[in-house]
Amino acid sequence: MKRLQILIGKIIVKLLRLMHRNAGNLPGIILWHISRHKAVSMFKVDCPIIAITGTNGKTSVTNCIAQLFEKSGKNIIINREGNNLDTGICSLLLRHCDMKGRVKADLLILETDESHVPVVYSQLKLDTLVVLDFFRDQLDRNGEMETLIQKINSFCKTFEGNLILNGDDPNTARLGRANPKNRNVKYFHAEKYAFATDKIFEASEGRFCPFCGEALEYDYYQYSHIGKFRCNKCGFGDYEPYITASGIDLEKPVFTADGHTYSPKLNSIYNVYNMTAVAAVAKLYGIDHKITDSVISRYTVKNGRMENFMLCDRKATLNLAKNPVGANMTLRVMNEMKGEKELLFVLNDNVADGLDVSWIWDINFSVFERVTRVVTSGTRAYDIAVRIKCSGYAPANIVVKPDLDDAVAELASTPGRKFVIANYTAVQPTRAALKRYAAKHGGESSENA
Amino acid sequence: MKTLKILHMYADMLDLYGDGGNMEIMKYRCEKRGIGCQVDRYSVGSEMPDFSAYDLIYIGGGADLEQQHISADLMKCREGIVRAYEQGTFLFLICGGYQLMGKYYRDADGNDIPGLGLFDYYTVAPSSRKLRCIGNIVVRAEIGGKKVDVVGFENHGGQTKDVKTPFGKVLCGNGNCAKSSHEGYFEKNVIATYLHGPCLAKNPEVADYMISYCVNRGSDEPVKLAELDDSLEKQCRQVMLGRLLKK
Repeated sequence: MKRLQILIGKIIVKLLRLMHRNAGNLPGIILWHISRHKAVSMFKVDCPIIAITGTNGKTSVTNCIAQLFEKSGKNIIINREGNNLDTGICSLLLRHCDMKGRVKADLLILETDESHVPVVYSQLKLDTLVVLDFFRDQLDRNGEMETLIQKINSFCKTFEGNLILNGDDPNTARLGRANPKNRNVKYFHAEKYAFATDKIFEASEGRFCPFCGEALEYDYYQYSHIGKFRCNKCGFGDYEPYITASGIDLEKPVFTADGHTYSPKLNSIYNVYNMTAVAAVAKLYGIDHKITDSVISRYTVKNGRMENFMLCDRKATLNLAKNPVGANMTLRVMNEMKGEKELLFVLNDNVADGLDVSWIWDINFSVFERVTRVVTSGTRAYDIAVRIKCSGYAPANIVVKPDLDDAVAELASTPGRKFVIANYTAVQPTRAALKRYAAKHGGESSENA
Repeated sequence: MKTLKILHMYADMLDLYGDGGNMEIMKYRCEKRGIGCQVDRYSVGSEMPDFSAYDLIYIGGGADLEQQHISADLMKCREGIVRAYEQGTFLFLICGGYQLMGKYYRDADGNDIPGLGLFDYYTVAPSSRKLRCIGNIVVRAEIGGKKVDVVGFENHGGQTKDVKTPFGKVLCGNGNCAKSSHEGYFEKNVIATYLHGPCLAKNPEVADYMISYCVNRGSDEPVKLAELDDSLEKQCRQVMLGRLLKK
């Protein structure tokens, strides 16, 4: 039966290829149906699997971990296209297995959607699970965040493999108590950085101890609810970090972890956390330090994550923000930059964005500094305009242009520095519109712009 | 002009889907008119406030876990809240705040979280956490004698039953129960609703109704609120109504 399923799957992949279609998800969806929802159980994987999950940073961390092993000469399989649901992982394995369903590789490195961790890894044996963070994101797809954490928590109750957790995120760190018998729980932690605050700066969740309900005490908040926390009643948060990022200086940028100093290309506290997770995996698997250093110091992002464009002579930086934390981070970067600037905010509410746009009210717009004008666009252009207006920003300086090309033209019509924030489904159309403008009116679109 | 006194309860625990934004909007709309607006906060562990000293008490929505955490504390406030309500303090209640003012909330595992019992309705969550009322919603409400199509976003498992005086008629979406005809609970000094978004973002009439109520409370000569430029809010609502009601 399993062989037949694999045969069918392989034929679908071939057919799609013949039709010049990307076989990213469809074969998996079909197999999901014919295998009665156990799409990945037909594969035989003998090599270790490393899974990466969390709300923010999955793709970055997955790619960096993959590089650690690739540069060590390992033959790895990774879901680079970000097909991170069970059906996407099934499609990936279909392409890499033989007719008996055996997957040949030294390692599987799989970015895995938060809600799909239990279903995928109840069918495939997992060596290491890396959990980065839990933020409000696409809540209406997953139900409430608590339900999501509960799901992963139940999985962790019987999991005995390596569990690498963000020790500064109470939502994540609590998973470390799910299975008291698991001796392979490892926390990563970062020391206070220059923009850390004593009080919480951005709206967030998880400020109460999940075990006893007591308010959590924080030594400092790095951003949102991420920081050095502790429950004074039950001691939740007391742990010995497996790896600690210290000496964080984002001006340079530079940080030290496990005795080695790294000079990453990206200057956000986000990136420090992501790279500390990468360093934790490197330490666990005994990766040569030279390799770890080259991965961490060279890693940069494209595809609308702090990507630069030139609109004639005007520099524009585009950043994806799929939740308040991402948007607040971008606003921080924008504020910390000297001089006047203008902002284009593109907000869509397509299914993949999670239909609901109320998360924009958790963005702290009152921090705007030297922002001279705001253009809004996307299917919810007016929602974001109302949001920014009610934060106290002068409505006369807000221009609503639902059409993206109109919005980019409006943004580029005045001189000066530009920032663009786009949410999940808005980011690719926004990139395209910025490129179209550059092609038509001069300018360029590159990471070096 | 007088200063509005608002008590925002459990802001640190009950704040889903931008509910905190409602307070930002209330302040904004008061300040634009030169009306003072003081928002105090109360949460678990705070000193017991004088509830009757407030013009409006606001409670937002939260996840099940947070609702469990606050329910015992809320019971301690019962007497004070009931007295304030009877003396005319406005109650603005979203989602969890709405549910907890009823008789009880039965969660997905069948546990009853007692409500304050201020109103007759009660709420039962379906045993499957997957069954939720989720999506954009339009409710036709009568606010200050005018019909207003209130637009928001609902996301609740709980099914609220036995509501005698609903907030409005459902034109699109679910309402108090899955596919029900009515949404929320209404009295002259109570608006209780499942609408997030936040609720007031696209519906300035609802905010102004409450501001007007509070400003004119106990006054013999009611004042009319100054008009504000709500063109962005109106266009925002128009876009959504056009999309949701055209089918």
